[in-house]
Amino acid sequence: MAGLTEDPNPVLDIDGLLINQEHNNTEEENNNNNSNSQLKDKSAVLGKDREENSSKNQNQAERDMASIHRSGSRPQLDLSKAAIEGNFEEKDPTILLPNQSDDISHLALDIGGSLIKLVYFSRHEGQSIDDKRKKTLKERLGISNGIRRSYPILGGRLHFVKFETTKINECLDFIRSKQLHRGGMDSRHWNAEAPANENAVIKATGGGAFKFADLFKERLGVSLDKEDEMDCLVAGANFLLKAIRHEAFTHMEGRKEFVQIDHNDLFPYLLVNIGSGVSMIKVDGDGKFQRVSGTNVGGGTYWGLGRLLTKCKSFDELLELSQRGDNSTIDMLVGDIYGGMDYSKIGLSASTIASSFGKAISDNKELEDYSPEDISLSLLRMISYNIGQIAYLNALRFGLKRIFFGGFFIRGHAYTMDTISFAVHFWSKGDAQAMFLRHEGFLGALGAFMSYEKHGLDDLMVHQLVERFPMGAPYTGGKIHGPPLGDLNEKISWMEKFVLKGTEITAPVPMAPPPGTTGLGGFEVPSSKGGTLRSDASALNVGVLHLVPTLEVFPLLADPKTHMFLLAFQGVMHISDGLYSVTCYVIAPFSVDDISYEPNTIDLADHNELEYWFTVLSGHLPDLVDKAVASEGGTDDAKRRGDAFARAFSAHLSRLIQDPAAYGKLGLANLLELREECLREFQFHDAYRSIKQRENEASLAVLADLFAELDSMSEETRLLSLIEGVLAANIFDWGSRACVDLYHKGTIIEIYRMSRNKMQRPWRVDDFDLFKERMLGSGDKKPQPHKRALLFVDNSGADIVLGMLPLARELLRRGTEVVLVANSLPALNDITAMEVPDIVAAAAKHCDILRRAAEAGSLLVDAMINPSDSSKENSTSVPLMVVENGCGSPCIDLRQVSSELAAAAKDADLMERMHVTITRAFDDDVQIILEGMGRALHTNFNARFKCDVLKLAMVKNQRLAEKLIKGNIYDSVCRYEPAS
Amino acid sequence: MDAGFHGKLDADQSESLISHLALDIGGTLIKLVYFSRNKDRPIDENKNSKNSVIDGRLHFAKFETSKINDCLEFILSNKLHLGGFRHHEDPASDNILIKATGGGAYRFADLIKEKLGVSIEKEEEMECLVAGANFLLKAVHQEAYTYMDGRKEFVHIDHNDLYPYLLVNIGSGVSMIKVDGDGKFERISGTSVGGGTFWGLGRLLTKCKSFDELLELSHQGNNRVIDMLVGDIYGGLDYSKIGLSSTTIASSFGKAISNTRELEEYKPEDIARSLLRMISNNIGQIAYLNALRFGLKRIFFGGFFIRSHAFTMDTISVAVNFWSKGEAKAMFLNHEGFLGALGAFMSYKKHGRDDSISPQLGQRYPVCKPLVGDKICYPLNGDLSDNDSLECSVYVA
Repeated sequence: MAGLTEDPNPVLDIDGLLINQEHNNTEEENNNNNSNSQLKDKSAVLGKDREENSSKNQNQAERDMASIHRSGSRPQLDLSKAAIEGNFEEKDPTILLPNQSDDISHLALDIGGSLIKLVYFSRHEGQSIDDKRKKTLKERLGISNGIRRSYPILGGRLHFVKFETTKINECLDFIRSKQLHRGGMDSRHWNAEAPANENAVIKATGGGAFKFADLFKERLGVSLDKEDEMDCLVAGANFLLKAIRHEAFTHMEGRKEFVQIDHNDLFPYLLVNIGSGVSMIKVDGDGKFQRVSGTNVGGGTYWGLGRLLTKCKSFDELLELSQRGDNSTIDMLVGDIYGGMDYSKIGLSASTIASSFGKAISDNKELEDYSPEDISLSLLRMISYNIGQIAYLNALRFGLKRIFFGGFFIRGHAYTMDTISFAVHFWSKGDAQAMFLRHEGFLGALGAFMSYEKHGLDDLMVHQLVERFPMGAPYTGGKIHGPPLGDLNEKISWMEKFVLKGTEITAPVPMAPPPGTTGLGGFEVPSSKGGTLRSDASALNVGVLHLVPTLEVFPLLADPKTHMFLLAFQGVMHISDGLYSVTCYVIAPFSVDDISYEPNTIDLADHNELEYWFTVLSGHLPDLVDKAVASEGGTDDAKRRGDAFARAFSAHLSRLIQDPAAYGKLGLANLLELREECLREFQFHDAYRSIKQRENEASLAVLADLFAELDSMSEETRLLSLIEGVLAANIFDWGSRACVDLYHKGTIIEIYRMSRNKMQRPWRVDDFDLFKERMLGSGDKKPQPHKRALLFVDNSGADIVLGMLPLARELLRRGTEVVLVANSLPALNDITAMEVPDIVAAAAKHCDILRRAAEAGSLLVDAMINPSDSSKENSTSVPLMVVENGCGSPCIDLRQVSSELAAAAKDADLMERMHVTITRAFDDDVQIILEGMGRALHTNFNARFKCDVLKLAMVKNQRLAEKLIKGNIYDSVCRYEPAS
Repeated sequence: MDAGFHGKLDADQSESLISHLALDIGGTLIKLVYFSRNKDRPIDENKNSKNSVIDGRLHFAKFETSKINDCLEFILSNKLHLGGFRHHEDPASDNILIKATGGGAYRFADLIKEKLGVSIEKEEEMECLVAGANFLLKAVHQEAYTYMDGRKEFVHIDHNDLYPYLLVNIGSGVSMIKVDGDGKFERISGTSVGGGTFWGLGRLLTKCKSFDELLELSHQGNNRVIDMLVGDIYGGLDYSKIGLSSTTIASSFGKAISNTRELEEYKPEDIARSLLRMISNNIGQIAYLNALRFGLKRIFFGGFFIRSHAFTMDTISVAVNFWSKGEAKAMFLNHEGFLGALGAFMSYKKHGRDDSISPQLGQRYPVCKPLVGDKICYPLNGDLSDNDSLECSVYVA
């Protein structure tokens, strides 16, 4: 292990190639229209770059990564990303200044009686990384540049922030420090240096839009364009319900369950917005609604009365008090009136509250004699229950089955939701259901945001939004802690404050559920587990919404509308002595009856499962931090960031162990992605870079030998060897200790051969013969080769070089187009789409098949192949292409893939009689080949992917092996599912 | 002891003063209804007739439940407990039974037995409420009235068009009962935000010593100091699009979230006013929604929370009027607090045939005009001895 991580000099040729190439790309973009000069430019630049010393290369790599992947994830408070980007020309990239003039395009406000809610969108200008390879690829895939952006992970982010209305000055400072007010209606004024436009207009709703209009004008020089509050609430709710996958959920007896809302069956519904007061709105469609009711007993009442009665200093403090309260000391229960008996004739149990605060009439106790906790709970129950009741009565009146509760009163507070749910359930006798929204507090602000014209978000599709939870989320939950950004001179100082703040908050993380909190009193006692509320749990469970317009649903999934999703993806993780290795795994398709595609087969709602994986991830953390810090040169800055990352990720973990559904439905894939996102937020763009480089190099060194060996085999033997090779490449690093030993003892080809020899058929799941028949035919019958194969490559090193490339080569040899599908952003040691061309280029040096195919696919145009070597007749070769999958996680959610990938798959889809092979090697352990046929497929019979599917897997986790294949660790899976 | 009482009963009967006590022991208040004969009249006008009419008065009294001993003292000193009956199935028993309803009928049964030597015959609370309300609405002239903008208007109820109606009894908590006829009803809803909430929260917030004091305070208060009004949010403007005027309460106690003022800095009057509006408005709204649900045109509000308090009634009326857009009207009852007790009292008739001393209220002989009718429109003061009474005739089997 140590040997792997501590290599201080990871600058290899491959790295150099990458850098050079990327640098070229940027240059090329500038000369896009001048294709004639490209080659010359290229060689000139390459020559220059090669003269630079290798230590500089690393810095350059950092910058390149940052610029390439800058949209991957940025902190909500965007402290530093822009610094790296913006300082490209500066001498010292370790001085990281926050980019405070974020490229904000739209800010919208909802200024309520108690809270100010901000929603702002930050957008990045089209990135200038578009090389000829991509263009060729696009032409080939039929992607029109006019419609799609040049780079898939692009678009922007929707940020959610709140302030207390009484602290409006903090809010104004925040807006000013981030220059949000300059990006109102007119995006021309993004530029921080542009003078504030006298006519700048910001959309705002809520009463404060009127009340504070002058203040905004005076302080920020902007006018508030007032949007109707109800319009905004409804627009915001409709947007959330349509665009965000895990938005609505039910909450009964402490259990949170996400509800899948069919967009075609959304209306009508009752929207209950609980702010200071309560509005109840019947929503019949987009922009079609009516405020049917409301009540003045709302969040303001709770907080107002609560403040007077308990001296609490904040709403959240009051809410937290209620966690430990016992309302039976202050509420008059039916049992109190009936001497402990139920009033069963009318269905009231002894614990039913007959009269809220009814016991407080007693002469012998004064206010001081009641515990604030009890008062808070009594108040909370009174108000929540009352709202639930009135909401139900209104829903009943209009025959509405669904009631969505939103607004800042709820704050994700379990007991509040339980009480409301209970009220609705009780009065409706189970007919109606209370549902809650994760972005409950931001309906109005979102609606105001939507009222901007031409923001292009109108027809957002759910698959285009990716929610990220920034490092501060578990602490701040959308609230701005710490210094306003205006005070920030340096990212590092903020980071330190953040760490400090984090320490403060995490100290008492899980509060033991107080016994008897809800023991008495109440309408049948909604027995919430709300007792486990953490100090900050009343904050929002709201991340930053990343808008990625180019994400699409993988077209080879069955039509989502028909509910015939086919595959379940399983994310699992395997830790071998702390070595990276995350497994994503595809298991058998659901039957047609199963209605929804769920990328996670391990549902972390199972608490045992959750704990297992949390333990694994926590245990892995220190090693990961070491690697990450090392990848950034082990500087003090890197160490600080590493520390902050560890805290932030730990906080995320403890937040999630408390409330697994805090960030939406939680699967292992989400968890793994969260970790990658978290790393990126702390500017660890590629923690495994040096490991990847070393492994690539070592593998490439023996590739020629492997090709020679393979070429000496018969076709049939070769096919088996190739499949074994794919599995063997997985096996390669199963024990890191063994792996490290082997590094010292033998060459990589020896290790590879050894593990290949270990592959004893039959494998645990062994459809190889079926696959072979499809590939080679039986008897005289020669099958038609596949038109195109999509290979989802995964790991760097042996996995891609010795496993996938030979397989790709074989397919190419057979006349099948090959598309290598790789991650858009680094995740663990996954290879990225940016890195693949260089590996291919290096491999092509040893192999004519690869070289010609790569040239046909324009992969080599800008790589390190001597242009004179490529001859014209090469164009007869089928192309080898590279596309990115649109994600930066060890796992893939096929509901959200890059447009490139979608196009690659669609293209095959359009060609009848053509076949598609999709291969995805998920990290170290599992490879999946999904093979498919195009349109001829009839998906109504045992629908799966619309293609033949081959899944190759090496299961490297005992738990998973038992669970999925009833086998053991290191068992292999080769499942072939022909298109029906 | 029983024998002694029995003997005394005879003596009392000869004095012709008191008979028939019924109790409604709620969470906050104990309500008493008892009947007394008019002394200046002969006991029996027609001794030959099996049925006779006794003229007398129905008396109404109330005590705080926490002061139940005062109540028992009052009963003892007035010998009211002798106005019970003996179980008809066991006439030989000396055990006297008193009709009672409300939760306290269960809770205090032992105490009453010990202190008064009488047993409680428990009557179901909702039945009593409905029976009491039906009696009042049918038998008492000028019982129901509307109250809007300070104006009280009696409503003539056509006995043949009384049902169905919604009865909202606001005691400590609130019960909402759909009444379809005599003994035909259903409790359809309720809320825990009722009189107990007003008094309980009010006590904690204002240090008032009594419910009536709190009510009195609310008279002089200004809720705008503490409630967040639509105008507060909209900078003084109406939110006219959805029909909310700037004076509409957006959030009760919503201004109290301000960090700059503590409890002590708010006037008790303002707090009482805000609280009263919050609770009255809420009850009015829920009542209306329930009436709407069952298509009930009339909503009668009763229970001791109201106490004929003008502002309370006004608020409830406004709420019903607002939410129903004028279609529904809140109505109040002069004897609002005594529905349960009256109902319990009425339940004596169930035993009438077998017990010669049990009277029936002569519903066929309409009760005379309320003796103290005019007084009722003013808030009752806290003096429990200042009790209402109704002149009435009792029909004796």
